Amino acid sequence: MAAAGIQLHPACRVRQEGFGLLFYDSRGPRLLFAETGELLPVDFFDQPRSRQELPAGLTAPQQNRLQTFITKLLERGFLREQPVC
Amino acid sequence: MSNQYVEQGLRSPVNLTWEVTLACNLRCTHCLSSSAEAVPDELTTAEALDLVEQIHAARVFQINFGGGEPFMRPDFLQIIDACHARRIMTCISTNGTLLDAALVERLAQSRLVAIQVSLDGASQKTCEAIRGPGTYAAAIGALKLLAKTRIPSSINTVLTRQNAAEIPALHALAKELGVALRVSRFRPSGRGAANWEALRPTPSQLLEFSDWLSNSGEVRTGDSFFSLTSQERQGLGLNLCGAAKLTGCVSPTGKVYPCAFLQTARFEAGDLRRQSFQQIWDNSEIYASFRNLRIHSCEECKRFEQCHGGCPAVAWHLKNDLNGGDPECLERCVTSIADEKKTAAA
Repeated sequence: MAAAGIQLHPACRVRQEGFGLLFYDSRGPRLLFAETGELLPVDFFDQPRSRQELPAGLTAPQQNRLQTFITKLLERGFLREQPVC
Repeated sequence: MSNQYVEQGLRSPVNLTWEVTLACNLRCTHCLSSSAEAVPDELTTAEALDLVEQIHAARVFQINFGGGEPFMRPDFLQIIDACHARRIMTCISTNGTLLDAALVERLAQSRLVAIQVSLDGASQKTCEAIRGPGTYAAAIGALKLLAKTRIPSSINTVLTRQNAAEIPALHALAKELGVALRVSRFRPSGRGAANWEALRPTPSQLLEFSDWLSNSGEVRTGDSFFSLTSQERQGLGLNLCGAAKLTGCVSPTGKVYPCAFLQTARFEAGDLRRQSFQQIWDNSEIYASFRNLRIHSCEECKRFEQCHGGCPAVAWHLKNDLNGGDPECLERCVTSIADEKKTAAA
């Protein structure tokens, strides 16, 4: 069985802003303002990734913060989990 | 809603209203842009496609196409295809008269389009008094075609004095058809200005609608009624004017404005034939003035944090004062009704 990966929901988009990432969900529409600064590059969500995968070079607190953030994005439907082939 | 980030200014709009043509086969009495015939200097196909590329480069998430009737523009599908090829989401506001099975099937091939069909009454009589003969059946026919597809579709109704009592029935009709209901605010621009007194909802109707909205969470309103909605509903949408902060408007001739209801020379933020879209967004003095707009006259109001003064466009059209506060906000509706009762009692 393929492992579960995360990917931006097809109804959602994301872009870089000065404060971090701005997510848009056309189903609402609704917005999510994420104060991620430069921690998470906008192209991070361009392809499916495992839930544990994060950009290199982060400190442990930064990794924890981003993991919590990614969980929040999943819960709120901006990301979705699907098999990674 | 993170107003702080919005007021600081985003790198580009979240969405953009693009009125691709003024041509329309209807003459609705409330039309915000007085649509009728195409104007001679509307953007050419090449200019329109270049604008799509600019919007893509600016990473705008969505374009809301309107008009006029967008499908009156011969190259409209070409423009839509260019958006989808760049993964720009699109929403088309149409009167539905030109939608047939083949066109709906064509549009359904993309998952990046949503369609709003205008219907201004649950009954044919009410709808056609505003939109003209034959419009009710045409809109229902279009909605039935759309409901068979995966295109997110909705009825779009402009709340007026004539249809206010039919909004719950429109909601039921939308459910029956398998589409959503979106209610938009009537604003005094275009032909809507000429017919304002005849069509504007009364304060009592606005309050009744506000109460109804509170219990109708799935009904969409865009940003139309943020000055009127209850606290419970605030989480569903904006609680401030998004003009020049989250959104903007492009006219058929490439002029750029803060919003679709302020398309006059006074509010022209730029001209796409002379500047790039990003230059206008970044440098327009008109846009800067809207980002700095503070409705001080409303700051003492207990609902200020909920609506921040409401819609500046309505304040401008009715009071010639952007800073004057929304004349149709919830508080003013309550005050207006109380004043009427006092007058009647006296």
